[in-house]
Amino acid sequence: MEEKGRIGIPRALMYYRYFSLWHTFFEELGWSVVVSDGLGKTGKIIYFEDSCLPMKLMVTHAVSLQDKADHLFVPRLVSLHRSYIMCPKFRGAPDVVRLATEGKISIIDETVDLQSRNHSLLQSFLRIGEKLGASKKEAKQALKKGEQVYSKFKEESIDRINGLPLRDLFQLRIPTPGKRKESTLRVAFVGHPYNLFDSDINKDIFTLTKSLGIEIFTSDFLSEKEIDRELSDLSKEIYWSSGREIVGALFHFLKGGVDGVVFLTSFKCGIDALLQEFIKRSRKVHGGANVPFLVLSFDEHTGREGLLTRLEAFKDVMEQRKAPNSKHQIPKKSQ
Amino acid sequence: MKVTFPHLGTMHIFCKAIAEAAQIPYIVPPETSRKTLTLGVLHSNECICLPFKIILGNFIEALQMGADTIVMVGSGPPCRLGLYDLVQKVILEDMGLHYRWLTIPPRLTWQAIWKNYEETKELKKELTWKNIVLFPYGLWMGWKKMMACEGLERLAMKVRPREVKKGETQKRLKRALSWVDEAKTLRAVEEAVQKGTGFLNEIEQDHAFIPFKIAIVGELYTVMDPHINRGVEQKLGELGAEVTRTSWFSTHIRRSLRWDKNRHGSERLRFLKASKAYLGYDVGAECNVSIGEAILRSREGFEGVVHLMPFACMPETTASGILIQVGKDLDIPILTIILDEQEIEGRIQTLLEAFVEMLQWKRKAA
Repeated sequence: MEEKGRIGIPRALMYYRYFSLWHTFFEELGWSVVVSDGLGKTGKIIYFEDSCLPMKLMVTHAVSLQDKADHLFVPRLVSLHRSYIMCPKFRGAPDVVRLATEGKISIIDETVDLQSRNHSLLQSFLRIGEKLGASKKEAKQALKKGEQVYSKFKEESIDRINGLPLRDLFQLRIPTPGKRKESTLRVAFVGHPYNLFDSDINKDIFTLTKSLGIEIFTSDFLSEKEIDRELSDLSKEIYWSSGREIVGALFHFLKGGVDGVVFLTSFKCGIDALLQEFIKRSRKVHGGANVPFLVLSFDEHTGREGLLTRLEAFKDVMEQRKAPNSKHQIPKKSQ
Repeated sequence: MKVTFPHLGTMHIFCKAIAEAAQIPYIVPPETSRKTLTLGVLHSNECICLPFKIILGNFIEALQMGADTIVMVGSGPPCRLGLYDLVQKVILEDMGLHYRWLTIPPRLTWQAIWKNYEETKELKKELTWKNIVLFPYGLWMGWKKMMACEGLERLAMKVRPREVKKGETQKRLKRALSWVDEAKTLRAVEEAVQKGTGFLNEIEQDHAFIPFKIAIVGELYTVMDPHINRGVEQKLGELGAEVTRTSWFSTHIRRSLRWDKNRHGSERLRFLKASKAYLGYDVGAECNVSIGEAILRSREGFEGVVHLMPFACMPETTASGILIQVGKDLDIPILTIILDEQEIEGRIQTLLEAFVEMLQWKRKAA
């Protein structure tokens, strides 16, 4: 198929979850996809607004793409679940990007709101297809293919995370490695997908962790039902889908099944700040198993060395707990 | 049973009126102070927004004074305000404080009634029939007092820039508000308003002076409560600016009840429409209103806009980025002040002085 042009996708925010869907969709329609690179060594961030680091990176990535593509794909993600919503900052993201790029590039900012029938995934992508000159049938087929690839990647995500280096994680062409060997320590990493996978935010924490011989688990491991079950007795519904996933996964992993839990958050993330307090306090009030729990908060100044020290210390804690008849073993709290 | 509620501007005056008229025992938390804020900061973390910390501080102080039932306004998504109660309950529980919690739903839905059902059942045991019969009267009394307070505050905003002796208006406003607070009957409220209005109008004024016209926009909590914004309204007034804002209790209550007799809802709609040029979607809370109001105010001949937001407020962060562009496009000075627990009163004073001075230059140049 001949190439119609180039679509630029900033490597930021929900790209880290939906890259497979977006990639496949545009490629099926005959467009080639350009994804922005990381910050690189210079690490120059564009401070358009005083927001959280992931949002600043979104703007930086978008601006770096403005001369390299015909269209920029920054969807307005209002809600990606039929009953829960996304962070309010996502709603304004296309507008912020438009101001930051000063109108130099056309932006595809289709609203995706699964709570409204008019902006369902299908309707939104049909409209994107229309904008790119594809027929309804073509767009429908491309979306279907995209969804297939997405669910395949979601299934294999734990294997991919543990088997591949970070830069290969988001390449559609690189196949998932086979069965991995079991490690002695299993740690669950919980957080927004961009905090987990963006090496500009977390200084490539997964490579550090793997180099310490630790096996990684994420909330991809849990089904929506399991998360809902963990949250069923809250006095009020958490209405952010990412927030639900984080709290549900933390409650689940903190009960056991893994040797340690790490919560990754960016400084100034409103959702994380509130829920972090909630998790810490509920743990104290309601008690429960004593799984070691580490909260890592990232901003522009986070250094790799400091991170490594903390991870090593965390590993020591986990190993001490695991060692049989250890003097330092923490007795299990009786409930 | 002793009911308590958070502080927000003059809210304690009319919440007290409701409880008093319905003969429900209540405790007004001590006036928001450095101590309140310190308590709130101690029991939360750095990125939680300022209103959360202050409300938490109010509750802790009130519970320590012997209150046992917290009444709190709820809100819906997408802002964090909607989940305040979920987190605050756990924090208070962890601190070992005993309380009962009643959330006033932002909109009456089945879910809201269902979630409050258990607590209401408990409360019913302690309320007498007298409380229930008198409650509508209490609400009416509260509404009257709220309107009285807002009327006086609006008048003070007009008088303040023209006053000859600086600080006189604030002193008199405080007295006038205390008269409203003390009034026991509807008639007494009306008398207090008349007396207060006259009292404020008596202030010696320089009528030749043309004050600067400044609009305050932003997150409603920071706009409405002088303790949180460190008296931005008063400071601007004393620097010679006539301040306008559209965030009042009555406008927010009318909006959530969809009760638009005076077309306050449509004013909001007008702001939302105006913001469309910069923001293609309703971000939530006051974000679009802040932007829309700044745009419309500049067209209406206002000379400056002061945008207030708590640190790390999610919707307003987007607004602050876009407002920079609005200021450039429409040639109107916009000052964004981000508030958190740091002691920044002196800094705010300097910022505002510089801002008003800049308006002076602009006026001279024109």
